[in-house]
Amino acid sequence: MGLWELVDKVLIIFYKISGHPVFDYFLGTFLLALLAVVVGEFTISLVFLVNKNHLDRLNIQLANLQQLSMLALKLGDKKSYDACNKEANDTFGRVFFNMVGLSAAALWPAFFALAWMQLRFTGIEFPIPFTGLAVNYVFTFIICYILARMFFGRVKNRLPYFRGIHRMLMEYEKSSAPKIS
Amino acid sequence: MKKGIVNKIALVTLLLMLAILVLGASGVGAQQGSQPQLVGSDLGLKGKLGEAIANAPVGTGKGEIDPNAPRGAFGIPGAPQINYLVAILWAIWVGWIFSTVGAFGGIMAGVGHMTVYGLGDYIKTFKNTAPQVNKLLTDSIRTSNQFLVGLSSLLSTINYLRAKRLAWPLGLALGVGSIVGAVAIPALTGGKVSFSQYQGWFGLFVFVVGGVLLYETTPRGQASKKAAKEAAKAFEQSIKEKKDEASQGIKVTQWGLTETRFTFFGVEFKFNPIWAFVGGVVIAAISAFLGVGGGFLYVPYLTSIVGLPMFVVAGTSAMAVLVSMLTSITTYITVAGAAMDWGMIGVELIGVFIGSMIGPRTQKYIPDIWLKRLFVVLALYVGLRYFSRGFFGQSWVP
Repeated sequence: MGLWELVDKVLIIFYKISGHPVFDYFLGTFLLALLAVVVGEFTISLVFLVNKNHLDRLNIQLANLQQLSMLALKLGDKKSYDACNKEANDTFGRVFFNMVGLSAAALWPAFFALAWMQLRFTGIEFPIPFTGLAVNYVFTFIICYILARMFFGRVKNRLPYFRGIHRMLMEYEKSSAPKIS
Repeated sequence: MKKGIVNKIALVTLLLMLAILVLGASGVGAQQGSQPQLVGSDLGLKGKLGEAIANAPVGTGKGEIDPNAPRGAFGIPGAPQINYLVAILWAIWVGWIFSTVGAFGGIMAGVGHMTVYGLGDYIKTFKNTAPQVNKLLTDSIRTSNQFLVGLSSLLSTINYLRAKRLAWPLGLALGVGSIVGAVAIPALTGGKVSFSQYQGWFGLFVFVVGGVLLYETTPRGQASKKAAKEAAKAFEQSIKEKKDEASQGIKVTQWGLTETRFTFFGVEFKFNPIWAFVGGVVIAAISAFLGVGGGFLYVPYLTSIVGLPMFVVAGTSAMAVLVSMLTSITTYITVAGAAMDWGMIGVELIGVFIGSMIGPRTQKYIPDIWLKRLFVVLALYVGLRYFSRGFFGQSWVP
């Protein structure tokens, strides 16, 4: 049995809980989305731990340059303002693209979930009442994914591994405020 | 006399040629080829791709669909089976670039989709046999390109929202502009751009990016960067006062179509919303058409052309990228009917996050200037190759 067949056998269990097709579809999709959220949170925590120092350096550098440019503006020093703004520009570019890694780590499971749903639920449409329009598995998955994220956001600081990561993230956000020496 | 005979001969020759062309245009002597047999079924592929597949010729040659062949990319029988190991390795390279240099990663992701995974060569085979398949799969490539850079803006936007660092007047003007651009391009060009045309324009864009990178590696480009760095450092040393300004927000003092004013840290700023709107339209249109470019174009535009400080534009431009990406992808999928290979993107994202962990560790061993030189060479090569293949049918470089 191939890997994809094995995954299919496991994931379809989410869709056979109550026996009522519509209810099972939405419950199963929510559970699938929740699984994607949990796996994504785990991998993003890995990337965060590995890249923390690097991201720290970039964020602090960016925050300092931004503040310098503001101070230069307040003091009417246009030349310094332009220089600091240009440097901040360059640093922002690095910060922005480093976020790609974090975003990728958080979202990759969602795309595999969509790939599986594409095999199983292509062609099934959900009509929107009174409009004549219909949506497909992608739309329903996105809604369930957002709900799953919100749900997990509320419970994650009660779960063993994620509690520690959550605490670290809170400390990280507090300590990364800019300071000019 | 001799000249008169030559003129007569020339005139007769021209008239004969014209007569032959008229006869040919009327169908005289036309070669009647046999009509190819069509697939006749959507093979389980829904939407516009299914319809296009049904009208594609059936067969095992290039530009034909063999319904009995194993399913490959996008679920099409006979399409290339994406080698997931190659896909992950290429995506690790893309993630490495994102975390070291930045912008060029999106371009390399596009190269992966078009060349490394073999999709470009496959799509091109349908240029004459099934043009609609060619164009729809080109849309799928364009949409796939946008996921990577667009996703990077999701986390950035959430962070800036939490820190209340979004300048709403600017965000509104830019956001509305980017939505217009991100809807217009997929709606107007979806299903209409052949792979060769797309490849040509992508190549041209990459060539321009290569030119910009090349300038940054020249003594003049380096001098300008060095001067800005030194000026910023000198200013920092002259500042004695230590102050945490992060709690002060943005306060709008005047709304207007051609001038909006707001204060930030007690300093008043103004900008022209029309310029912000226009910038949003143009940049979103470029990134929606090519699949790259949004991430690194908004900020330089806002700081250099509109004249706003980095602190104000950072969060707003991240939001503009997210909004235009979501809009463009949704429009491609729903209006243009682009098919998506979600598994391919999932595999790429795994590679990207692995690469992004490696990048910071190798960065200290490779000076920035040499990285840029490497990407200049790559950009000029890729740009020239794609431009020539796309618009002229053959590559000017090996």
